[in-house]
Amino acid sequence: MTARKSGSRLETEIERCRSEGQWDKIPELVRQLSAKLISNDDLGELLLGEAKLQQYLKENPIKQGSSPRGIRPKLVEVRKHLTAALDRGNLKPDYMQEASMVMAKLSYVEGDYQEAISQYSRVGMDDMPLVGSPVYRLSMIAEAYATKGLCLEKVPMASPSFSKHNVDRDQEIITCYEKSGDIALLYLQEVEKALSAGIQNRSPKPGPVAQEQELGYFLETGLQRAHVIHFKNGNLTRGVGRFREILRAVETRTTQNLRMTIARQLAEILLRGMCEQSYWNPLEDPPHNSPLNDPLRQGSYTKDYSLNRRPRVYSGENLFCPQENTEEALLLLLISESMANRDAVLSRIPEHNNDRIISLQSASVVYDLLTIALGRRGQYEMLSECLERAMKFAFEEFHLWYQFALSLMASGKSARAVKVLKECIRLKPDDPTIPLLAVKLCIGTLHWLEEGERFAKMVVDMGEKASEFRAKGFLAIGLVYSLRATDASLRGMQEDYQKKALGAFQRAQSLSPTDHLAAFYLALQLAVSRQIPEALGYVRQALQLQGDDVHSLHLLALLLSAQKHYHDALNIIEMALSEYPENFILLFTKVKLETLCRGPEEALLTCKHMLQIWKSCYNLTNPSDSGRGSSLLDRAIADRRQLNTMTLPDFSDPETGSVHATSMAASRVEQALSEVASSLQSSAPKQGPLHPWMTLAQIWLHAAEVYIGMGKPAEGTACTQEAANLFPMSHNVLFMKGQVAELRGNMDEAKRWYEEALSISPTHVKTMQRLGLILHQLQRYSLAEKILRDAVQVNSTAHDVWNCLGEVLQAQGNDDAATECFLTALELEASSPILPFTIIPRAL
Amino acid sequence: MLAMDQGVVEEWLAEFKTLPEAAVPGYAAALKEKTFLVPALYKVIRENYSDMLEPVCHQLFEFYRSGEVHLQYFTLQFLPELLWSYLSITSGHAPHCSGCIEALLLGIYNLEIVDRDGQSKVLSFSVPSLSKPSVYHEPSTIGSLALTEGALANHGLSRVVYSGPHLQRETFTAQNRFQVLTFLLLRYNAALSYMCGPSLQSLCQLSSRVCICGYPRQQVRRYKGITTRMTVSSDFLVQLITGIHFALCNGESDLGSKALEDVLYRAQLELFPEPLLVGNAIRSSLHGAALKSNKEGTRCIQVDITPTASRISRNAVTSLSIRGHRWKRHESQENSVDSDTGAPGPIPEISVTGVSGERQANGEAPRIRPEGPAPGPEQGPDSRAEVRRQKSVKRVLEDGGVPSARGQY
Repeated sequence: MTARKSGSRLETEIERCRSEGQWDKIPELVRQLSAKLISNDDLGELLLGEAKLQQYLKENPIKQGSSPRGIRPKLVEVRKHLTAALDRGNLKPDYMQEASMVMAKLSYVEGDYQEAISQYSRVGMDDMPLVGSPVYRLSMIAEAYATKGLCLEKVPMASPSFSKHNVDRDQEIITCYEKSGDIALLYLQEVEKALSAGIQNRSPKPGPVAQEQELGYFLETGLQRAHVIHFKNGNLTRGVGRFREILRAVETRTTQNLRMTIARQLAEILLRGMCEQSYWNPLEDPPHNSPLNDPLRQGSYTKDYSLNRRPRVYSGENLFCPQENTEEALLLLLISESMANRDAVLSRIPEHNNDRIISLQSASVVYDLLTIALGRRGQYEMLSECLERAMKFAFEEFHLWYQFALSLMASGKSARAVKVLKECIRLKPDDPTIPLLAVKLCIGTLHWLEEGERFAKMVVDMGEKASEFRAKGFLAIGLVYSLRATDASLRGMQEDYQKKALGAFQRAQSLSPTDHLAAFYLALQLAVSRQIPEALGYVRQALQLQGDDVHSLHLLALLLSAQKHYHDALNIIEMALSEYPENFILLFTKVKLETLCRGPEEALLTCKHMLQIWKSCYNLTNPSDSGRGSSLLDRAIADRRQLNTMTLPDFSDPETGSVHATSMAASRVEQALSEVASSLQSSAPKQGPLHPWMTLAQIWLHAAEVYIGMGKPAEGTACTQEAANLFPMSHNVLFMKGQVAELRGNMDEAKRWYEEALSISPTHVKTMQRLGLILHQLQRYSLAEKILRDAVQVNSTAHDVWNCLGEVLQAQGNDDAATECFLTALELEASSPILPFTIIPRAL
Repeated sequence: MLAMDQGVVEEWLAEFKTLPEAAVPGYAAALKEKTFLVPALYKVIRENYSDMLEPVCHQLFEFYRSGEVHLQYFTLQFLPELLWSYLSITSGHAPHCSGCIEALLLGIYNLEIVDRDGQSKVLSFSVPSLSKPSVYHEPSTIGSLALTEGALANHGLSRVVYSGPHLQRETFTAQNRFQVLTFLLLRYNAALSYMCGPSLQSLCQLSSRVCICGYPRQQVRRYKGITTRMTVSSDFLVQLITGIHFALCNGESDLGSKALEDVLYRAQLELFPEPLLVGNAIRSSLHGAALKSNKEGTRCIQVDITPTASRISRNAVTSLSIRGHRWKRHESQENSVDSDTGAPGPIPEISVTGVSGERQANGEAPRIRPEGPAPGPEQGPDSRAEVRRQKSVKRVLEDGGVPSARGQY
């Protein structure tokens, strides 16, 4: 090794140490350097001065918001080195500048701001080339700008009254910081590049690689002080602009934490302080006259500097650039989330308690903001997936569990939601809302009645503590009992549950007399147990509390029909329809009533009207939008909430609006079979969700029924066929086919259809009744009796079944039993509504 | 109503009618300077002066229809007050029945649901995805994304419709009422930055009242007036919360936080998960910020310089460190070497302080080093570890993996 070579190697090594901030190595290197050439002495002084200053700052870091205080003995040495380097004047101009900058920094640290400013003004930082200069120098320049900004903020204004001057000064300060921040970003990118290059080239004598760079006070200030000032001055547009500039710069290891914080802060601003109409995207210039800025300080700062080299920004083809504030907020939050998630502290040992709290806090802020952004746009499905990722933080954290449960609930994942809610109840056993939410899910699509009962009891057991929710608790348990009564296959059980339900609704109603729901469900329960006059009293009460409640109006109509006041009932339905013109469940009842009061032609008109409504509701397409999701039909799948607002009896069983346990199973079979069947037919219009199609099929079936009532088998078949095209395996469709066959006098065929219907839904009472009747005609009495007795078990209030059973028993010569059946049938018929009361949905 | 207010309103009514078309933009910009006008109009709407209300509603609709944005904002600022008026009328306890407010609300709705060409408007937005490069990130630096069903389905960008297309409405019915009102609030929220203090206050008041009337909390809030319960929908509450959130952060922290509590109270009683979700998130995210906003007065958007170094200590086991951790059973041959960099203290089997290069994806088998421990003559055991460390760093960089800011020294 020649001396010369080792000299340049030494220089490289010094340069590397300076750029990586390894100040403790400098004295040793300087000694080697001085040994080579005498002329290096001045450089040595500079290096020692710099190293000692940096070392001092490392040991006595300046805290944000505090000022450095006075002269310290340790710094005297630094000044000596620097003065020596500067005074002799032998340094190369580059080094001279460096020495001046270190000197200025020293002045700042010593608290002599004026002196620092005058030194900076001598250096001429604006003219220093950023291209081709060594990496460490970038850091020096960045620090110098930051320090200059700090000094300018400290030095009192020459003439404070002169406000124009003030603005200029502000501008100068901010420019210093912004330049500092830009150069700092550039520096960090360069260090990282050098580092990875160094590793690849197996640079000489590697130190401990991948040392975590710490930014230090000056660079940190340079990077962040500008936007802090912007926001303090109420200049939101410029502050946002600055945030975006920092975030668009390609990330480095050192800036990761900064990026995470800034991304979150920018998302906060986008969500809290902006709206769609005041938004401008990151690649646009901000609007001149934005409502976001403090009107008194409008235009107080504009960016007006340029650097000869800027930090690298993310670039490339097809970069995603947000076009809306929610989009940008989401993007930023997803980025923050991915970082926060990596930092999740998993160990549970007490020593890491603090770390755990920090990582939890930074993550939960991000998740809260994600919730706000996605909730605004109704994207609960995506939200539940995000919050699922938060679960690694969630041990014993109520808020995260609860939010996760709610997101599952909002995205329709009921079964999981119930499970998560259980954990929430464990964490916060005193909150009545949580078990109530669980009941709501259990008695909805899940139909987990036993579980629902447990949750409802929790609320009831809270007693007075549940305050306003106590009545809700009784309502919930009443609904559970009411549904269990519908499900029960033994009459004794049914009556038992009905009694319990009635009791619970009465408690709810007395606890909360102004709640229309309590009065309404009490009325409904009374109606189901055929206490018609009492039910009428309570439904009127419910209507007084909530005059336009659709279910109360419907119940009132059904109660009137049970009293055989069909015209009054029809009037009520028509009144209700004027408020709910697109409510199919009301329209179905209307068809029934019209058939009775005004003849089938009117009813058919209503069916036609329903088809029109269906078309306008679900088939509204937007010709300007050719993309997917253009029609409501396509959207319904994404927008599950819409399904909730449409109340419809379950298609699998139009007699019972609330889902029945066995019909649940049947409808699943039905769906599965229909899907298989229609996948074989290429023309089947089955792209959308089931729900609108179910409604459509039901409309056709109602029309078919009207035609059958008119004695028109051909039209009946045609309508049934329309429904069959949608749901070929539906027991309702099969039942209707049986009806048509019966009308044609084709008993064998009818029997076959009925048997098929029953094989899909074994508890379909109407089918059982018709099948019993046919078997009776075929004189197979004992089988008919068996089927009819089963039917009565399923629904003990079906008067026509009782009637059939009486006929069968009579034919068998069992006159006593037959008489009893006829009497029961007669009695039930007197209080029988046009459609079963249970057609009205029961839900919390 | 004071004569002066009446005068101001009458003058406003007359002035716009005589305005030539070319003067409209200038007029719109100058409206702000009429300081007495807005309070006077609030009075007209609030106190239901039937003789003034109708021409006022009519003119507000004319403003909206003009297409001039500032005139539209002018009308929009009264939306919360108009909604309250309308809802208190429909709940059946207001002395006057005023169809003109209904007509105004429906008019705005029917204008808003179509674009300039009269086609139904569909409001949609792109769901950003980390798997697609953006102005703020590069997918490769994010590291492994969870490969969930949803992530696969949403690979790349997807556009999601969040509102529309909507049907034209001629009248309000119980069924469409909240669809219309929710959509109107959505449009109001889209212009929140342009709404001034009184409008935000009115929004908070509307939210509180709609949610508590007829419930026990009404006594707590000492609001007298309508005592019947008002129907609400879940989406409507979510939109109210969105507006309240803005109000909370833009100078109305007192009214805003009361309104938020009231909406959450109602959402609990109604068992609506959506408003509970968003409301809880807002409440929890404002916890730290609340104090700051009170001090600053108007806007709580203040940021501070945050330390850039990670606040989490390096030897804590994090998701990242555990992902990169090499479990004992994989280590067989390297055990001896690793033990000198060793794991200190509490969790012996996890090498939490492992050098960065040791990181690799979970389950990935350690690569066999072909060169093995082949130290040069002058290298001691320490430098051997050094070489290995270097190599692994290189490997990480080549793999495009994520060298972290944590757990390295």
